[in-house]
Amino acid sequence: MQEFFEQARRILAEQMEIELELITMDTEFEEIDADSIDIVEMIMALEDIYEVEFPEEDIEDYPTMGSLVTALYEYLQKVKND
Amino acid sequence: MKIALDVMGGDYAPVELLAGAIKWLQESEGQIILVGDQEIINEELRQYSYDPTRLEIIHASQVIGMNESPAVALRKKKDASIVVASRLVKDGMADAIVSCGSTGAQMAAAIFILGRMQGVERPPIVAPIPGRGGKPTLLIDVGANVDCRPVQLLQFALLGQAYARGVLNLDNPRIGLLNNGEEEGKGNNLSIQAYELLRQQSGLNFVGNIEGRDLFNSRCDVLVCDGFTGNILLKALEGMAFFLATGIKEELGTIPAAFMQLDYTQIGGAPLLGVNGISVVCHGSSRRETVCNGLKIAADSINNKIIDKQLQELSRLKIEN
Repeated sequence: MQEFFEQARRILAEQMEIELELITMDTEFEEIDADSIDIVEMIMALEDIYEVEFPEEDIEDYPTMGSLVTALYEYLQKVKND
Repeated sequence: MKIALDVMGGDYAPVELLAGAIKWLQESEGQIILVGDQEIINEELRQYSYDPTRLEIIHASQVIGMNESPAVALRKKKDASIVVASRLVKDGMADAIVSCGSTGAQMAAAIFILGRMQGVERPPIVAPIPGRGGKPTLLIDVGANVDCRPVQLLQFALLGQAYARGVLNLDNPRIGLLNNGEEEGKGNNLSIQAYELLRQQSGLNFVGNIEGRDLFNSRCDVLVCDGFTGNILLKALEGMAFFLATGIKEELGTIPAAFMQLDYTQIGGAPLLGVNGISVVCHGSSRRETVCNGLKIAADSINNKIIDKQLQELSRLKIEN
């Protein structure tokens, strides 16, 4: 999970051009001005890295980095176990 | 030349969009691909006579609404008309896309399907504003990006410069920053930071801050702003032109031609810049005349090779993210 989170925050930090440390599990996307395009870009980059297609869920349901990354990671584990 | 028209997006879709497509076929050369609900399109087309070899229908079962989150809707609705139409351009089956639907969805489709040019984070919309002596000022961005970072305004400036060079044939276009005062240090945080980036960028003929009232005075060739400001400015201009034109017509019985240049029902649409395909954004309230004009802008963009020209110009400059 930690490695997955590190990948996700590295991608988002590069996209947003902000310090890596500014993104934690508690970071709300709104507070770093990440909009839906930024978030979907991050998800698509993770899909490329992990060779998986995440379900098209409402990202509005995941206002923080932690909540979204956890949901994506749980899906990734489910796919691996199936 | 083939243009894909998303006939499901817009306030008057699909009836007025189909009427606009037929009008374009009558007035122009080229082919059109109507993208949307095939059954509805076929039913509506029964009232028109047209050359069937110039018109093709490609079915799309979904539509992205104005209130949906663009990027999320794009992932969810893979058979949305804007998605299908954008894929046609991506796959080389069409030379341009025209849509009157959600601007956000069109921009997201441009980003995720057509792809961005190197160094471009967000594609802006460029609109020519008529000026004195027939010299237009390119206003950029007029609505694709409501929230912008300073570096994105710099990217808009570089794209505007490339467009002005490639399409308007200006050797060294003057770049201005829309602001609430001319002096350095004026404006909000975005303007102040963007000013610094524009000033420091080599190869850019930055002429400083430009106030709104100087928009028509040809003080610059490209005027950069965030999409929120640009959209409000553009619509205020359109509204003011309509207000003045109506008043003058009541008194004199005729409308001066200059006002017609700002008649949004005539202008049609404006292309997104910085993406690897021609994508023309039209007003959501477009009726047949406007749709037809939007298709003409797409045709002009194809004939002007605006993608190649942007790429050529951008390759000369390194856009620093």
